[in-house]
Amino acid sequence: MTKHRIGLVLAATALSGSISIAAMAQTEIEIWVGGEPGTANVYDDLAAAYMAANPDVQINVTKVGSDLFNPVLVPSLSGGEGPDVFMYGTGPGQPAAIINGGLVADLTPYYRDYGWDPLIPDSIESTTSSDGRLWAVGNEVENTAMFYNQAIFDQLGLSVPETWSDFESTVAALIEAGYETPIGLGAADRWPISHWQSMLFGRFASPAGVDEVMFGDGAWTEQAFVDASALLQEMTEEGYFGPNPVANGYAEIMDAFWAGDIPMTFTGPWIVPGAVESLGDGLADFGTFQLPPMADGQAIHPTEDIGSGFYVNANSEHLDLSADILNFFFFNDDSRLMLLNNGTIPIGSLTELLPDSTLPAITADLRAQIDSYRENGTIHAFLDTVTPASMTNVTYDGLQAIMLGVMTPEQFVEAIQAEWEIAKADGAILMPGGVADN
Amino acid sequence: MAATSRRWSPGRRKRQAWLTAGLFLLPAIALYLVFAFIPTIEVFEYSLTRWDGISPNREWVGLGNYDRLFGDRIFWEAFFNTVEWTAIIVVINVGLGVVLAAVLARKIKGRIFFQTCMFIPVIQAPITTAIIWRWMYQPNGAINEGLSAIGLGFLTTPWLGDLTTALPALAIAHSWSTLGLSIVIFLAGLQAVDDELYDAAKIDGATPIQAFWYITLPALRPVTAVVFVLTATAAFKAFDLIWGTTQGGPIRATEILATYMYKRGVLENNYGYGSAVAVALLVIVTLAMAVYLYMQARRDD
Repeated sequence: MTKHRIGLVLAATALSGSISIAAMAQTEIEIWVGGEPGTANVYDDLAAAYMAANPDVQINVTKVGSDLFNPVLVPSLSGGEGPDVFMYGTGPGQPAAIINGGLVADLTPYYRDYGWDPLIPDSIESTTSSDGRLWAVGNEVENTAMFYNQAIFDQLGLSVPETWSDFESTVAALIEAGYETPIGLGAADRWPISHWQSMLFGRFASPAGVDEVMFGDGAWTEQAFVDASALLQEMTEEGYFGPNPVANGYAEIMDAFWAGDIPMTFTGPWIVPGAVESLGDGLADFGTFQLPPMADGQAIHPTEDIGSGFYVNANSEHLDLSADILNFFFFNDDSRLMLLNNGTIPIGSLTELLPDSTLPAITADLRAQIDSYRENGTIHAFLDTVTPASMTNVTYDGLQAIMLGVMTPEQFVEAIQAEWEIAKADGAILMPGGVADN
Repeated sequence: MAATSRRWSPGRRKRQAWLTAGLFLLPAIALYLVFAFIPTIEVFEYSLTRWDGISPNREWVGLGNYDRLFGDRIFWEAFFNTVEWTAIIVVINVGLGVVLAAVLARKIKGRIFFQTCMFIPVIQAPITTAIIWRWMYQPNGAINEGLSAIGLGFLTTPWLGDLTTALPALAIAHSWSTLGLSIVIFLAGLQAVDDELYDAAKIDGATPIQAFWYITLPALRPVTAVVFVLTATAAFKAFDLIWGTTQGGPIRATEILATYMYKRGVLENNYGYGSAVAVALLVIVTLAMAVYLYMQARRDD
């Protein structure tokens, strides 16, 4: 009996010792992610999958609210601390500051070693690279579209509009049926208006017209941008967005949309994972469509941009491991399928993944629409992320002013052009990107 | 005997008192230096540079940021909004605060309950206050629904979406969240008022309003100065409530200096200019408080 006890004690001691040695041997990686409720959870699953394949690695995923990201992340990075890997915006605004400050690692060697090139489209590479070097891996492709309540449309005998005239009739029918707000727009939060602006600017100016301003000698004051702004103002005045769009927040609008109080809203697939959780099968009542051409000769250009970038902290003690985790998350087929099934569209070709995916029908349908119009050329979904932050504030204020009718379309484009010129002179605008060959 | 007289000499006792006081004050002074004074000096130093807040190199621009500030139309818009915002909050917190304190000082039924209700918003996180009032002020929120329910539907408006109502509406929300503290301070001041004064006034035939006007208000003058300074400084520094509701919008109707500083400094990574706005805010608050306290002191003399 005594021998047994001694044996047990020795075994327990040995076991606890081996557990603590194993724990000590584990390398810990901190990852900070943001995003809509539902979408960020997929990173827990990806981390679990990586840890299952690599038991010596412990990944801690922390979800940080978007408002807290900057005030918390930047000081911690500046202080030589912070997470090993983090999600952050891309484009010419704040990312430029953390890149110039030497706070993020150059991912170019990993890009070459792991062979990421085929999976990163050029348009995305341009927003995640500068000076020929890759600084971030885009986490997902995001498109915007008109989301609509199929049940309301069926009830009123409405179908998806194919011409702008059809669209106007649809809105009129909805108003007549008592829907005070035919198209929900949380303009109080400002950035949702920018989705409309991005789409309208791209539609009226075409992808080449936008690129001419972004990377050439074009100006935001050209007639196409005035016409696009004028249409936004006209739609507001005619009640397309309800009586008080500037008083409505995005969250409240989305609640009203899912509740069936608002028939349409222009948004993106980031809302789908949360809706799958809250609505379940009820999500089948909703669909998406691309807005028809708004003027003669205009083509349907789908919107597309990346959601966020994943960066590696330059001060991380585990640069190689962090890059390996990014490789696993975004360039491994099983992980990409996991992202897809969560409703998060990973970058790169999905041809081989889609047949095996359980992508929510609404997202798959949206993806199919984008692909069917892709040959017309894609336009930016979020102009506010590819233009300087100083211009973003002027744009947001101007868009609210347009909607409140206190600024003309001409004044609006002049205001953003003025800020654009300042940023251009300061070298703060997006430069044509791309990773250097060597 | 000689040793005893040395121990109790007045000079030595005075030095000991100073030493004791100094030792007790030392931690507070050290904390103040580290967490308030030095950062303030640093902000002033940043304001003389062009800096993105991240890179190790700061470009010295001297008073360039201040020069730009004086010609910045949005800065002045934010400044005048801040003045209007502070004025509304001070009027409510001082005016309504003193009246409610006078009412609650009387032995009315449910006094503790009402005092507690008034104070609960003070202990709430400002962002919670923002969420509550953002919901209340929605076009179909509680305020408009309430107005419609009592037959005042003609008064409904998109409170935070209207250029004229957004700032006053948020100022009221800010007052709601800070009024309880003003009331508590006024109540403390009322404890010092001799009840015999009210009794004498009653015998002389004074009405409750006359008693309030001629006894309560003059007696509360020193406390009013405290409430004024606390309320005004809190209003000048307010950020969370506005950021959590309108982010300075619609357009710039609720843009105050604190939100403008955050936009320019943090969101645009322009820490040099953002720091100049912060220094301007500090100077404005200090000057306003100094002028008020000086006038108050002269009046008391």
